[in-house]
Amino acid sequence: MRIALDRPRCEGHGLCEEAAPSLMHLDDDGELVLDVEEVSADADVAAAKAAARVCPVAALSLA
Amino acid sequence: MRLRRVVVGNGIAGLTAGEALRAGGYDGELVVVGEEPHPPYSRPALSKALLRDLADVSSHRLPEPETEAVEMLGVRATGLDPARRVVRLDDGSETSYDGLAIATGTRARRLGPEGCGELTLRGLDDALALQERLAARPSVIVVGAGPLGMEIASGCLDAGCEVTLVARGAPLATQLGAVLSGVLTRAAVGRGLRIVTSSSARVLDGTAVEADGRLLSADLVISAVGDEPNVEWLADSGLLVGGALVVDSRGRLTGLSGVVAAGDVATFPTKHGPRRVPLWTSAIDQAKTAAAGLLRGDAAPELVFQPYFWTEQFGLSLKVCGDLVFSGAPEVVVGDLAGDSMLLRWAQPDGTATVAAVNHRIPVPKLRRMTHPPSASRHE
Repeated sequence: MRIALDRPRCEGHGLCEEAAPSLMHLDDDGELVLDVEEVSADADVAAAKAAARVCPVAALSLA
Repeated sequence: MRLRRVVVGNGIAGLTAGEALRAGGYDGELVVVGEEPHPPYSRPALSKALLRDLADVSSHRLPEPETEAVEMLGVRATGLDPARRVVRLDDGSETSYDGLAIATGTRARRLGPEGCGELTLRGLDDALALQERLAARPSVIVVGAGPLGMEIASGCLDAGCEVTLVARGAPLATQLGAVLSGVLTRAAVGRGLRIVTSSSARVLDGTAVEADGRLLSADLVISAVGDEPNVEWLADSGLLVGGALVVDSRGRLTGLSGVVAAGDVATFPTKHGPRRVPLWTSAIDQAKTAAAGLLRGDAAPELVFQPYFWTEQFGLSLKVCGDLVFSGAPEVVVGDLAGDSMLLRWAQPDGTATVAAVNHRIPVPKLRRMTHPPSASRHE
């Protein structure tokens, strides 16, 4: 699965990083960086889904 | 026999509870009962992005759950019989459960008489109705100067409306303290918000408010004066304690196995005592805790509640980590109090801190680390 970021929507809440710290992080300017875009391992897919779920502005999606 | 677990409520708490049950290994039957017929949406977005940009009709939409739940949407729970383990529904039917998660949320408190035309903003239908009304740029009175009232006032100003805010005291002072109240109120007044201070306001109808004996009128009256938990359906269940749905640190109802509660409806233990904390991350963390509590009982981890609050209004973005307690003067870490960008820190008596970023871009995990006592963040 591929993680997609709708960048204009991202407000830098960082709840996704707290849910999936191995897949994404906010840089020093508070901009989200996807460290991994393709996920296949079960644990990564679960973390990616959890990250998409906690985003209050629905900036992340999985396809 | 295959287990049957039921989640009542389809907001972020109910949604998260269902997903957390699956993530925790539950593979039995899952039923979700939701009063609102809508697919998942973000409540915080209703008074922010959705009001700010009237043309954007998708900013509130959340990913669909992948829990393979049987969804009963547009159906309201009307009663609970814990002895028989059934939830009664407003279509006259009952649904039985082996495990139950209650996440029925809250509703907007109202000031005026039933059906008087006073608007509130709590659900998606409220937001869409308000969007439609704002298109004609009506004059607006907003009653209530908490975060929601201020966000609504900001959205209405952005829509080109003339807006009067009726406030009991300094806007946001109760929730965010005097300093942040000052910063946000200055921005609001700068954008043209008219503020009327009134110790008691009465909504007369959809166009009139009486504030300390003075009559105010506008095309629209919107109240934002807090919320009330949806617990009436539990009145004869024996679950309520003094009218509240009180859970333990694992989201469980005391003395009743197989029932948990989470989200805005639940009163849970915080370090300041049992509280309802109607915030986005509070609902998510509680729901995860409650799902684990339902699956694993005493072996489940206790709730670790880390408050996170944000608001967007009058051109300012505010993010706060740590307890929402703002006594005294903060340390100004970045910027200055007279400017429009700053990072502020309030030291708390227990060694933690409350940190607020106003129009200051900072990764929230970093903001969160600034709330830890110095010994906990030595390895930064």
